[in-house]
Amino acid sequence: MTIAASYFDYPHRGPGMDQDRYPYRRLARSPAVAWPGGAKLLVWVTLHLEHFPMDMPAKPFLPAGGMNRPGVSVWDYTQRDYGNRVGFYRLMKLFDRHGIRPTVAMNSQVAVRYPFLLERIVERGWEIAASGVDMGHLHYGGLAEAAERAQVEEAFGDLRRLSGQAVTGWHSPAHSQSQNTPDLVAEAGGLYVADWINDDMPYAFSTRSGTLTQMPLSYDLSDRKILYQQSLPSSVYAQQVEMACRCLRDEADTRGGRILSLSLSPWVAGLPAQIRTLDALLGRILSTPDTRPANGEEIRAAWTAGAAG
Amino acid sequence: MPAEPFNYDYAPYLNRPKIVWPDGKRLAFWVAPNIEFYEYAPPPSAARSVWYRPEPDILNYSMRDYGNRVGFDRMADVMARHGVRGSVSLNVALCDHFPEIIERCCELDWELFSHGVYNTRYLYGMTEDQQREIIRDSRDTIRRISGQSLDGWLSPAISNEATTQDLLAEEGLLYTLDLFHDDQPMPVNTRSGRRFVSIPYMMDVNDVPVLNFRNISPPDYLQLIKDHFDQLYEEGAESGTVMCLPLHPYLIGQPHRLWLLDEALKYVTAHDGVWLATGREIAKWYLDHGYDDARSFIAGVNGRAA
Repeated sequence: MTIAASYFDYPHRGPGMDQDRYPYRRLARSPAVAWPGGAKLLVWVTLHLEHFPMDMPAKPFLPAGGMNRPGVSVWDYTQRDYGNRVGFYRLMKLFDRHGIRPTVAMNSQVAVRYPFLLERIVERGWEIAASGVDMGHLHYGGLAEAAERAQVEEAFGDLRRLSGQAVTGWHSPAHSQSQNTPDLVAEAGGLYVADWINDDMPYAFSTRSGTLTQMPLSYDLSDRKILYQQSLPSSVYAQQVEMACRCLRDEADTRGGRILSLSLSPWVAGLPAQIRTLDALLGRILSTPDTRPANGEEIRAAWTAGAAG
Repeated sequence: MPAEPFNYDYAPYLNRPKIVWPDGKRLAFWVAPNIEFYEYAPPPSAARSVWYRPEPDILNYSMRDYGNRVGFDRMADVMARHGVRGSVSLNVALCDHFPEIIERCCELDWELFSHGVYNTRYLYGMTEDQQREIIRDSRDTIRRISGQSLDGWLSPAISNEATTQDLLAEEGLLYTLDLFHDDQPMPVNTRSGRRFVSIPYMMDVNDVPVLNFRNISPPDYLQLIKDHFDQLYEEGAESGTVMCLPLHPYLIGQPHRLWLLDEALKYVTAHDGVWLATGREIAKWYLDHGYDDARSFIAGVNGRAA
């Protein structure tokens, strides 16, 4: 193995980022944001509704929750499908009781396959955000642009047609983007993306077709990461969310409004053993002073108005 | 590929010459924040894949970018509150990308040492001259931005070549963190015979392996730090020990984890026998007060005259 002289070329070694999606921003030195109504902490609950086809490809990588059996993966398929049959309704009742109207980031195939479920979302006025077609159609580097454009348009198109909503948000399945995904989302009329995990606050995100808002959707603090991927108990999940709530709420006193993102999946958080812990947790979070729930589009609009003003 | 690193001789953790830290302290505690820059589109490496997903791996790139946007200031605030300085394991290109971060490190009187140029550029496969170029770039960049000398080293992404330690000694550095073989500083054998030491940098309490690879929960991580400290503190009465807390702002600076750093520093700083040091301070003290005795001890143990 020899190392070429070009390995010592550093083409982006200079002030700022090494890509052109956003300028560097240091949150601790950023202007304070004031949320409408005087809230200090907005709780953004996102519910991820997904369809994992049993014949989904394992390439270019298998997303968390993907089909992982050596043969026909009935085990994985039915456990994921449980979320859309059972877990969703458990969480729906829980959210109703706490006055939470989440953003539902959904694969368009869930809306196509389960119109009954979609009706429950629409009648509650819950915001729908597009989250690709299904978990067998990832967005990733190397995906041909025309194919990806078709996936993005199908996802937005089906969800808008079936729900009647504007559908302004986008979350890529498994937080995975190609180099073109944000451009295609902007061209499909999206206003925000929630894939990058580099901030606790929104920021402006450049595309070749205008500026999106990148929203802080939690990854490390998601139920999927802690309960499913890390196999930690629900008490650990709840403790971490509470500490995040406390940290962000304290920070809001001196540095401006903050967002607590709760990323939940019905095949994880909707399991029987999780519900009481989650119920108590939501109660504690929402009783934090100056704290209220908000959905993605509300937060985007408020942040954009503040950033512009 | 050599059969062993050939950078040290056997030295049992038994009846070693007594190390006493300044003012009679028994445990040198130091915190090593890794302030890193991972490239969005790095050159490929023949030795390993750089990212985990097809590029752009925006999930993993943005996870690390969090440290420089958000996590660093949170971590620094907590450390400052406890009077704990950092010794920065620095990808030196960051000085060019985000000089304001380095400015704050200097205001806080933190040490800067090198962790390579970018965390996505490895030493694997480099000639000696190529490795020297990375060392010299590090020395020049750190000198230019802070006026500090380059005294310490942790190879970028712990990528080593067989000659790396020899070159570090020849280039005039004082200490390396690449060797995980001990809980006390140790002389390092290099081909030039220059006085050069290893300082403990504990992977077992490093937030990346603990939180990302081993999936230990934050409460258990806090307990791990306390247990680790308690044992080394007790042993430090016999001969001074070193505890390093290696951190990454992108992990420890998250709002759900920051509390554990606060608790850990509160715990450690409540002990009278703790010397709150930097890597450079530990290395210099050891070179002046422990190195020669250790050399004699090691020679005796291995059957050669001191």
